[in-house]
Amino acid sequence: MDFYRPTSLAEALSLLAQQEGARCLAGGATLVAMMNAGLVEPSGLISLADLRDLFGITSLPDGSVRVGATTRHVDTAQSTIFRAGQCVLPAAAEKIANPPVRNMGTIGGSLAFADPAADYLPALASLDAVVEVASRDGIRTLPIGDLVIDWYTTVLGVEDIITGVIIPRAPGGSIGVFEKLERTAGDFAIASVALVLAIEGGVCSAARIAIGGCAAKPVRLKEAEALIEGTRLDDAVLVKAGRMLVEACDPVDDVRASADYRRLVVPRLLVKTIARARVALGAGS
Amino acid sequence: MNGEQLVNLTINGRARAVRATPATTLLTVLRDELMLTGAKRGCNQGVCGACTVLVDDQPVRGCLSLATNLAGRAITTIEGLGQGRELAPLQRALLERGAVQCGFCISGVLISAFALLRQNPTPNVDETRAALSGNLCRCSGYIKIVEAVCGVGEEVRS
Repeated sequence: MDFYRPTSLAEALSLLAQQEGARCLAGGATLVAMMNAGLVEPSGLISLADLRDLFGITSLPDGSVRVGATTRHVDTAQSTIFRAGQCVLPAAAEKIANPPVRNMGTIGGSLAFADPAADYLPALASLDAVVEVASRDGIRTLPIGDLVIDWYTTVLGVEDIITGVIIPRAPGGSIGVFEKLERTAGDFAIASVALVLAIEGGVCSAARIAIGGCAAKPVRLKEAEALIEGTRLDDAVLVKAGRMLVEACDPVDDVRASADYRRLVVPRLLVKTIARARVALGAGS
Repeated sequence: MNGEQLVNLTINGRARAVRATPATTLLTVLRDELMLTGAKRGCNQGVCGACTVLVDDQPVRGCLSLATNLAGRAITTIEGLGQGRELAPLQRALLERGAVQCGFCISGVLISAFALLRQNPTPNVDETRAALSGNLCRCSGYIKIVEAVCGVGEEVRS
């Protein structure tokens, strides 16, 4: 196995293109675990450690925020740059694994692995985030909804490098809440809800809901969000929206829970998440 | 770079050049080359926490860190917590409270707790539990571990 430590993105892309079977190494939290288990055997490792443009969180003039691909979960969790509903992202980062893993793992690595039960994907889906991808043809962007195409499978090619994620400005006055049902602190989610919610005069003015852990990719349903927006978030409306979301989910049985259990729990998680958001917005529960 | 190379690391304050292939983890270097066997190889998957060490003062998984990628960084292991044969207050606190059962998890627990106390010298129970949430004790001896870590903070307070 070869080890490279490029100092420019162009050099990293060129190495990745030259060597078949090489993988990019960011935090190592997933890749090294898989190497230790014998599940992957890269022909080479391309460390992204010296690509400074890939690291860090910056706010952009239009109110959006760019999170570089090698930004660690701990940095995202502790950042004070995020505004309004954007805060669902640091809230999700705070729920990933445990402190030592959050000191290692990166947002780019998490997205590239695309674990359906991981925490960033639903948070980013609820924020309509945009993924920034570099290849030898240049930098392109794709909506977060287009990144994952199947279980643990992204649309990215072997010569692509995720360089960052752009979080658009969230609706004014909105709040971001991340609710995760887990067997024990730091486990992957049985199911999760990422919510961006705004209420004006007791009426919901914006609702963006993404369900994690219940399909190959986060489930977002415009119809369910449209149903909720313009209402006073009565129980009947939430139950109906929850049922619509469950219909759109495609959960599987796994070691954490059965598919049936996930279908049962998603509407209740939605109600709980919205209740949390209302309390935080001072709109009462 | 291919095969084994020399990698420069600072281990417990001493500059060391260690041999590592690109796939060699920090944990393997510590245990198998430097004979610093305090950090344990439990799951080798980043789950159990027995291999937790400090890299530039932050707790990370030794088993998920590749030594080559850490060139130039400062590593602190359990062997570096005390002063020579003198135990650190945190280590004494765990001993005095009987918080060590089989002991396999304790090196990792101590490293996570050490990092916590440096950031927050008087942690409460919830803060301590959160900081130790990535360290599994299969004897399930958590209560005394948490009491001991909080106890160090109480000594600071009083």
